[in-house]
Parts: sequence; structure tokens; C-alpha cells
Amino acid sequence: MQQTNRLRPFFENITFERDDNELVLNFGPQHPSAHGQLRLMLHLQQEQIVKAYPDIGYLHRGMEKMAENMIYNEFMPTTDRMDYIASSSNNYGFALAVERLIGLEVPRRAKVIRMLLLEINRLMSHLFWLATTALDVGAMTIFLFAFREREYLMDIIEDYCGARLTHAAIRIGGVPLDLPDNFIPDLKNFLDKLPQNIKDYEDLLDTNRIWLMRMENVGVIPTEMALSWGCSGPMLRASGVAWDIRKEEPYELYDEVEFAVPVSDKGDNFARYKLYMAEMRESAKILYQCIEKYEETVQNNQTELMAHAPQYISAPKLDIMTQNYSLMQHFVLVTQGMRPAVGEVYVATESPKGELGFFINSQGGPYPYRLKLRAPSFWHTGILTDLLPGHYIPDVVSIIGTTNIVFGEVDR
Amino acid sequence: MAQHQVNYLKDGGLPVALTSIDKVVNWGRSNSLWALTYGLACCGIEMMASGASRYDFDRFGTIFRASPRQADVMIVAGTLTKKHAEFIRRLYDQMTEPKWVISMGSCANTGGMFNTYATVQGVDRVIPVDLYLPGCAPRPESLQYAVMMLQKKIRSEKAIKAQKPKRLM
Amino acid sequence: MRSYTPKDDVQKKSYYTDRYWVAPQVPKSDVSEDAVFAADHAELRAHFEILEAYIQRDQMVVYIHPKDNYAVLEFLRDHCGYTQLSELSAIDWIAQRGGFEVFYQMLSMTKRKRIRVKCFIGENEAINSVEKLFRSADWSEREMYDMFGIKVNNHPFLKRILMPDDWEGFPLRKTYPLQGDEFAAWYEVDRIFGKEARDIIGPEIRDAARVDRYDTERFARLGYEVPKGTPFDPNQPKTSLAYQEEGGVFLIEGFDEEKSTIISDRKR
Ligand code: SF4
Repeated sequence: MQQTNRLRPFFENITFERDDNELVLNFGPQHPSAHGQLRLMLHLQQEQIVKAYPDIGYLHRGMEKMAENMIYNEFMPTTDRMDYIASSSNNYGFALAVERLIGLEVPRRAKVIRMLLLEINRLMSHLFWLATTALDVGAMTIFLFAFREREYLMDIIEDYCGARLTHAAIRIGGVPLDLPDNFIPDLKNFLDKLPQNIKDYEDLLDTNRIWLMRMENVGVIPTEMALSWGCSGPMLRASGVAWDIRKEEPYELYDEVEFAVPVSDKGDNFARYKLYMAEMRESAKILYQCIEKYEETVQNNQTELMAHAPQYISAPKLDIMTQNYSLMQHFVLVTQGMRPAVGEVYVATESPKGELGFFINSQGGPYPYRLKLRAPSFWHTGILTDLLPGHYIPDVVSIIGTTNIVFGEVDR
Repeated sequence: MAQHQVNYLKDGGLPVALTSIDKVVNWGRSNSLWALTYGLACCGIEMMASGASRYDFDRFGTIFRASPRQADVMIVAGTLTKKHAEFIRRLYDQMTEPKWVISMGSCANTGGMFNTYATVQGVDRVIPVDLYLPGCAPRPESLQYAVMMLQKKIRSEKAIKAQKPKRLM
Repeated sequence: MRSYTPKDDVQKKSYYTDRYWVAPQVPKSDVSEDAVFAADHAELRAHFEILEAYIQRDQMVVYIHPKDNYAVLEFLRDHCGYTQLSELSAIDWIAQRGGFEVFYQMLSMTKRKRIRVKCFIGENEAINSVEKLFRSADWSEREMYDMFGIKVNNHPFLKRILMPDDWEGFPLRKTYPLQGDEFAAWYEVDRIFGKEARDIIGPEIRDAARVDRYDTERFARLGYEVPKGTPFDPNQPKTSLAYQEEGGVFLIEGFDEEKSTIISDRKR
């Protein structure tokens, strides 16, 4: 027999007995289809939602505070745990922000490898989105199919950096490693099959009556609402705004590759679903081009992987092992950390979820004075306040699904 | 008759196996461990992956249940924050006996890399834990190993025993 | 004598800084260098008092009076095309300047430009909400209140968002230690079991490097499966890590390594 504890139901001053017909429903924070730890307070009139209060913070781990107490390189693995479905894109966002702060140019080979990683992460994230959303809506088959493909991508990533989920595969100033031998053939192999796989999913879903009923005209986000709530990424593009940071403010080599930005003006769940599918195809296209670029760098013998900036970046391993001065400098950089100049940057990148921004205020010390993580999912959760009223209980699940929120990122 | 002599006590003699109640009950328990989906953070994704196509948790009889009242084992996969702590305790109390807890990932074990104001430094401060699974994030294979170790632990337990409070309170 | 540590900023400090170290500056350039920013700046200056403006790393930074924040953001949105408020937060300068710097990060999709509007408020001053202009500010301002304790006027629902409602302290202030204060340390214990359980459960162990092989209270001893609180016994046999008992398991077929196949190449 367990001894009792003093936990009493705690509902934050919500009165359940009301004079009107409204029912207050608590959803979460541990709900299997809440994609993490989302808690919703839903006011219901019969089956219809009249008010919704998302309650977040159940995964608040204090990352911004950690950043203030860590040297820049030390913080890199922590960024993995923000959007843990696509870790490399967070690594990249942070690395890019610090590089802008110290004004560093990354060698071309590193850029290509970064782009490969970013797009693989985008594919992983979108596949994961498809799997979980389909599972929540009831399509178990898709869940199993999409996870199968995702595992292959994880194998590829694992070959590169050794981890499946938390990659830490990008460093400030470049990438730590060159691609392993089997990376390109494996990736090509995967990409060749991908169109067929996506077609399979679409064959199963596009004309599926249940899927259509739960997706079409559900969760419509008008353009003004999307803009006002600061939506970004697929959420914004599904609402009719063609804004993709990769296209508009290109970073890395995104201005050299060709890809389309799919847009839809419907704004409903189905539009978002189609958008994710289209984006996967575009990612595959980018990946093919990146493979070509990588092979070019091999031919041109551009083997540099890290930028050369002794003040901020350690020398290559070979130099550290053979040259005294490189070793000393490496030692200082590891124990004390680099000291960027006094200043501020805000750098936005297009993560699979939307605009992932890093705001860094540096006061010239080895620790950032203030680091603000601008995570897209935070606002995509906030929009539920305005989006859910008027919908019915079963729609909640599919709407949460298509907003594609990840709580590591919402709460940070 | 001598030529029809059958050793009924040997395997295959009769479709009967002699055993003790303990073993049968434990056999049943250990091979139908229904887990509560408790994906809190990144580790929850690996937990999902182990339930999905490649790793296929159903082989172990482990099926994820959404309700604590149908679950035997709580796999705490991810960071437990102070805000969430009371909910994990409440869900744990709602699970029916016998129940076990696997703490998956370093965050659940000790707070892991999040040595901050907002994280509980190990779920064992709040609920008793049977198995600690290290890793950040542990691979699905290691989660399966953890489940098999838990099965071994269950097999070695007395099936019918007075329910003593485990650790903590 | 105990060495003095300043209490107004308890964040980690570099343990060694060269005496002659002068931190370099990220270059700031004049607003006139970018035609788009120059036009925006001129328009803004015609209507509001601008304390300072410069371009740093391709983004314009504008300092305004805190009382103007609503009007400036409205002006930027309606007349300059900065339709999105992508981020809003604060920086703690209490120790140095006795207040906070609130920044608004704005984006114009038509011009493809980003500007940052900043204003400085004292520690106990409040700032006007911009929630009427941008719904996204609703949650950001709550977060700002939660993390810094900055009060926001006219906000419809100013409540903590990330931390629990009954939390004490504002975590992102420089005076708040990374590992939390006394209240934070016992929060979950007080909440669930009550204050009287503090002795039973014990303080948090925050030393990441601590490994104690005699400790049977928290973890079982590494490699040994012992009940909680068992005294240390050097002759304790190691617990086997095999997942099946020797001699097989009742009703379960053992795993035969000979019969298994190893797939050399996964079919992608
Ligand atoms: S142990 Fe690592 S992977 Fe698991 S929840 Fe914690 S940070 Fe995430």
C-alpha cells in the first residue's frame, strides 16, 4: 500500500459548476496526442469549443539561462534538445548566429555538408510529422510506413555523427568531420526510392474519406491571423504567404540550388499536409544538387572543413597534435572559450518548423550576456488560443497535429 | 504395457506443464508489460521509435497505453520539470498494482545535462524507480534491453506478496 | 574571511581575463548606408524622437522612448511594412544601469529587412502592451513577465506562462542563480509531499561528477542490485547483466545464436 501524498486536484481556480452550459475540459499535460506536454483548458458548449487556453511550460528546462552560463561551444549540444526531431537545424541556427557575430566565413565543403545535414533533417522532421499526425488521426499504417523511412535517414545521420537523435553535428565555424564513404551512395539510394514512398503515403491518404473529413476545412488559419501571430514556415505558407527564409534571405548555398517554395492559400489542415508532402519532394531535389556540389568540392580538392580563425576556432586536429602553438590555443579555447566582440545579432534560419532565430547579445566575454531562442513552435502553440474556438473536440487532435509543435522548442 | 511407456512428466508427453503459481503469474506479467506512453521530451521520440516499425516493441508484449489504469510499467522518457512533477506523481498513483517504473535517459535518472532551476534532479525524487536506463537519448535497442531486464526482475519476484511501499515515502 | 562575490550578477564569469584585454566591437555603421533603412529612419524620425540608430550586421537598431513603443510599432506596421513581430524580449541590465532593455524584433516581408526596436525601462517601470497590434506579443509579453518580472500595461491576461503559477523569483534575472534558489530546490517536494518530507527525500544532488559506489539510497550500487538502504557489503556478488536467467526461462524459447542470421546490408 502506498502512503498518500498531499496531491489534491489542482485546477487553477477554474469552477466546474457553472450557471451556463459550459463545461471545462482539461486536456493534458500528458496526453498521447498532444505531441509532448501541452495542456489545454477547453471551454465547451456541448461538443463545440468556445474558449481554449493552452498552458505550456511543462518542458521548460531553462536553456536561455544555461546559455548565459556556458561558453559558446559548450552550448551546442544543448541546442540539440530544442527541436529534437531535427537537431542539426538547431545546431546550425546557433552556429550561424555565432559566426555572424564574429564575422566568419565557412569553407565551401563545410557549407555543402551542412546543407546536406539540414535537408536530411528536414526530411526526418516532415516524415516524423506525417507519422505522428497520421497516428493521431487514426492512420496507423502511415505511422509505421513513415517511421520505416525515417529510420533509414537516421542510419545515414548516424553514419555521419554517431547519434540518432541528438546530433551535435555542426560546429561553430564549420563541421567536425568529412562525410563517410558510404554516405553519398546510401543517401542516393534512399532518395531514389523516396518519390515512390511519398506517392504511397499520398495514395493512402489523399482520397481517404476519414482523412479528408478530418483535414479539409478544419483549422483554417486566415492570412492576417497567421501574420499577426508571427507564424512562420509551413504554417505561414499554407495560409498564402510565400515566405521561405532559404529563398528570401539565403544563407549557405541556398541561392545556388534550385527549389520551389510550395504555397497554398487554403490555410486548413489539408493544405498544410499537402505542403509538407511537397516540401519533402523539394528537399529531395535540394539534396540531389548538394550531392553534386559535394562531388565538385571533391574534384576541386577543397578539403577545408573548419574556418581558419585562430582567435575563435581551434586548429585542425593534426595541427593540434603536432604544433605547440595550435595546442596552446586549443587549450585556451576549450577551457576559457572564445570571446566574440561586443555586439548583438539576430539570425533567423528556416528550420523545418519555421523561423528559428537566435538573438545573441555579447559583452565581449566568453559567455553570452543574453541569448534568446526564437522558436517557431512557441507561436504555433499560441495560435491555438484563437484557432480552436468553433471547432469540435476531435478536431483538436488533428489541429495540434498539423501545427507541428515540438515542446522542447516551445518551452526551451 | 511396456512398449507404450510414456513419461508423462517429460516435455511433450502430455500438453501439460507442471509449475508453480508464481511462475505462471510472473510469466503472464512479464510478457504483457503494457507501458504508459510517457514521452516527456527527446527520449520520448526514441520510445516511439522503439514502438514503430523497425524495433517493433510488440514482440515483447509491450504495447503503449494512453491510460495509466491500463498500464503496468511507466517508462519515464524525458526531462521531468518541476512544473510537471506533480502530474507524474498523480499518474503513478493512478496506475494499478503491480507497477514498475523505468527511468529512461539521463534526464530522468539525474536531471542529466539540465542542471538548472527548472528540472527535477532525477524522477526518483518523486516516484520510486525500478530500472535506470542511461543514455542521452538511449537507443531503442537499449530500451528493449531495459524492458528485458525488467522482465527478468519480475520473474524473480514473488507473484503474490504484500505490497510494501517501495522507495520513497 | 570569506571572499566577496557580487550578488547582483551571479552568472558564471570567466576565471581569467588578461589585464590588457580590450573587447573588440562588432562594427556599427551609419543608417544612411542602406537606402531602405535610411528611408525608414527618416520617416520614423519625423514622428518620434529617436535616441539612437545604427546598422549592425545588416539589421537596423533603433532606440526609442519606452512610452512610444506602441505608437512606433503601429507606425512601423502600417506605414513602413514591418508586418511581423518575430521576437520580443528583454535584457537584464539592473546591475549596470538599473533596468531592462526591451527589444522588438521586426520583419518586413516586402522589403526583406529586419529591424530591432529597443527601449530602456527602469527596474520597477511597466511597459505598454503591443498585443493589440500583434497577437504574437500576447505570449511573448507573458514570457517576458515570467522571466524578468517586467509588468506590462493593458495586457489581457498577464500571468506566468513557462513557470508554475506559484513560482517565486524571475529566472532570467542576473540575480537568479542557474540552479535555482531555496524555493526552487524544494519546489516539487513541497508540492507533492509537503515540507515535512524534505528530510526523508533529502537535498538535490547537483554535482555532475559525483559517483558514490557506497550509496544505496539514490541509485542501487552500480552493477549490484541491492535493496534501498542496504549497508555496503564488499562480498556482494555482482548482478548478472544477461537478460535471461541461466538455464532458460519458463515457456520461453532461448535465443540461439547459431540459428540467427545477420543481415549485412539493409535494403533501403
Ligand atoms: S536524456 Fe537526453 S535525450 Fe533524453 S530527454 Fe534528456 S536531454 Fe533529451
